[in-house]
Amino acid sequence: MHKHSILQNLPIKKRSGYLLFCSVLILLIMGAFIISALVGSVNIRPDWIGKIIVNKTVGRDIFAKAWKDTDESIIWTIRIPRVILAFLVGAGLSLCGILMQALTKNSLADPYVLGISSGASAGAVFVIMYGAFSFAGSYHIMVGATIGAVLSIMLAMKVSAVNNRITSTQLVLAGIAVSALFTALTNFMIYYRQTGSDKVKTALYWMMGSLSGATWDRMFYIASVCAVCTVLIYLFSGSLDVLLLGDDAAVTLGVNIRRIKICIIILCTVLTGAIVSVSGVIGFVGLVIPHITRSFVGSKHSRLIPAAVLLGGLFLILCDAVSRVAVSPSELPLGVVTSFFGAPFFLALIRKNGNTFRGRN
Amino acid sequence: MSKLKVENLDYSIGEKQLLESIDLKIDEGEFVGLIGPNGCGKSTLLKNIYRVCQPDRGVIYLDNENIHSLPGKETAKRMAVMVQENNVEFDMDVLEMVLLGRYAYKKIFADSTDIDKEAARKALLSVGMEDYEERSFLSLSGGEKQRVLIARALAQQAHLIILDEPTNHLDIGYQYQIMRILKEQHITVFSSIHDLNIALHYCDRIILMKDGHIIGGGVPAKALTPQMIRRLFGIEARMGKSRLTGKIQVEYLPD
Repeated sequence: MHKHSILQNLPIKKRSGYLLFCSVLILLIMGAFIISALVGSVNIRPDWIGKIIVNKTVGRDIFAKAWKDTDESIIWTIRIPRVILAFLVGAGLSLCGILMQALTKNSLADPYVLGISSGASAGAVFVIMYGAFSFAGSYHIMVGATIGAVLSIMLAMKVSAVNNRITSTQLVLAGIAVSALFTALTNFMIYYRQTGSDKVKTALYWMMGSLSGATWDRMFYIASVCAVCTVLIYLFSGSLDVLLLGDDAAVTLGVNIRRIKICIIILCTVLTGAIVSVSGVIGFVGLVIPHITRSFVGSKHSRLIPAAVLLGGLFLILCDAVSRVAVSPSELPLGVVTSFFGAPFFLALIRKNGNTFRGRN
Repeated sequence: MSKLKVENLDYSIGEKQLLESIDLKIDEGEFVGLIGPNGCGKSTLLKNIYRVCQPDRGVIYLDNENIHSLPGKETAKRMAVMVQENNVEFDMDVLEMVLLGRYAYKKIFADSTDIDKEAARKALLSVGMEDYEERSFLSLSGGEKQRVLIARALAQQAHLIILDEPTNHLDIGYQYQIMRILKEQHITVFSSIHDLNIALHYCDRIILMKDGHIIGGGVPAKALTPQMIRRLFGIEARMGKSRLTGKIQVEYLPD
C-alpha cells in the first residue's frame, strides 16, 4: 500500500522532493566511490582512501602512513582517477542521450543507437592501428575519436534529411545503418592487421569499453569537457523542453530550431568523441539513465539534467566495480556489463513503445 | 487595421506547385475560417504563415511587418498557433505543458515566473481545465488534450491565433465548445474549418480554397452557396434557415 502511494506520486513534483532525490543520489555516489575504490586484487582498508586523498591534496602527511607505498600508488594513481572517470563517463553519456532524445523526439535515441559511438570508435581504432595524428601527442586518440564522431553524425544527418528536414524515424534508421558501417570499418581495420598483435588486442578490448587506462590527465580532460558541455546544455534546457513537442510546435513557440539543432549536434559530437576516446564504446547508458531519471523527476530539462548526470555517474561507477570483480582476477569489458543491463531495457522499451513508436513528419 | 496580410504567395515542393498567388488580409478582431476540400493547400498555407514552410515568393505581414524579418520569439508573442500534436512521446503535467507557451517570454536560466504561472492558470481557466493542472498530459482524452493545447496558445498572450483544424477527431460537443472558447477570447482568429455549419455559426468571414488558389470568400451565409459547395466538395447541398436559431444552415443532399 505504501509502495503504491510512492509510485503514484512520481514524477516528483515538489522542489523539496527533488532536492532530497538528488541528495540521496550524492550519498549513494559517495558510498559507491568508496566501494569501487576498495574492490580489486589488493586489499585496502576503507579509512586509507580518505586519508590518502587528504595527504595527497594537502601535500603533506597529515595522517600517519599505515600503508605500503605500493598500496598508496594503486589507490592514488589507478583506482581514484578511475572511479572519478567512471562517474564522468556515465554523466557525459547520459547528457548525450538527453540531447539526442530531444533532437529526435524519441526516447530510444542515444549516441550508441545513432552510431556516433561507433564512428568515434572507428576513428580511435584507426589512430591506434595506424598511428595517425601523432602531432597531437597523447591526445591523438581523442582527436581521432572526435573526427570519427563528426563523420558519423554528418553521414547520419545527410542520409536522414529530406527537403532539408530531418524526421526522427529517418534519423534513427540512419543511425542503425551508420553504426553498422563504422563497426564494419573498425572490424576491417582490425582483421586487416592480422589478429594476435598487441595493437589488435588493445583495439579489441577497447572497442568493448574499458576504463583500465584511466589516469589523472585523462580524468581532468574529460572533467573539463563535461563541465563546459553541462553548463551549455543547461543554458538550452528551456529550448530542449519545447523541442520535445516536435519541430513545428517548437517553431510556433519561438524556438530557433536550426540554431538549437546545430548546437545539440556539436555538443553531442564533442562529448561523445571525448568520452569514447578515454573509455571506448559503452552502450545504452544514454538510453537507460535518462529514461529512469524521467520517471523520477519528469521531462523538464532543468530538473532532468542534474539528476541524470548524478544517476549516470552512479550507474557507471557501479558497473565499473562489477566489471572488475565479476571475473576477477581478470577484468570484464565495461561495455559488456552496461549492455547486460541496457539491452533488455532497450527491448522492454521497444515493446512498450510498440504502439507509439512512429515517426513524425 | 490589418493584423495579417499575405501578398502574392507561391509555394512548391519539387515540381509540385502547392500554393499560387495567394492574397489575403485579416483585420484585427475578425474570426476568419479557411475552407476547402482535403489537399487543397489549407494546411500548407497556414504552415507558410506560421513559419514552418518557407514561401518561394511573396510576403507575409504580421502587424504590417514582414514576418521573416521578425525573430522567432517576437513572432510567438504576436501569433499563437494550435496544431494537432499526436506524437508527443514525453509526458509532462498539464501546467508544464501550458507553461511551454511562455517560452518566448523567458529569460535565459530563469524558471517560470509568477507572471508566467498566472498567464498559464488564466488560460486553463478559460478552457475549463483549471482542475487538471497536475494531471499527466498523455493520460488525457482527445478533447481534453485539445483544450490544453488551446490553453497553451492562449498563454502566449498573442493577439492573433492560428488554428489548423482545431476540432478534428473531436465529438460534436467538443467541436462547438472549442469554437465557443475561441470566440470568447476577443482576439483575431484564423482557422481552417471542416464543418460548414460550424463556419456558418462562428465565422465573421470565410476564405475558400481549391487546388492551391483562393477562389472566393466573404460573409459565410453569402459566400457558401449551393453552387460553391458543389464546386468545392462535389456534393449537392441546400441552404436554409434553422427554425430554432434563425441561423443559416447547410443541409447535404447526397445522391
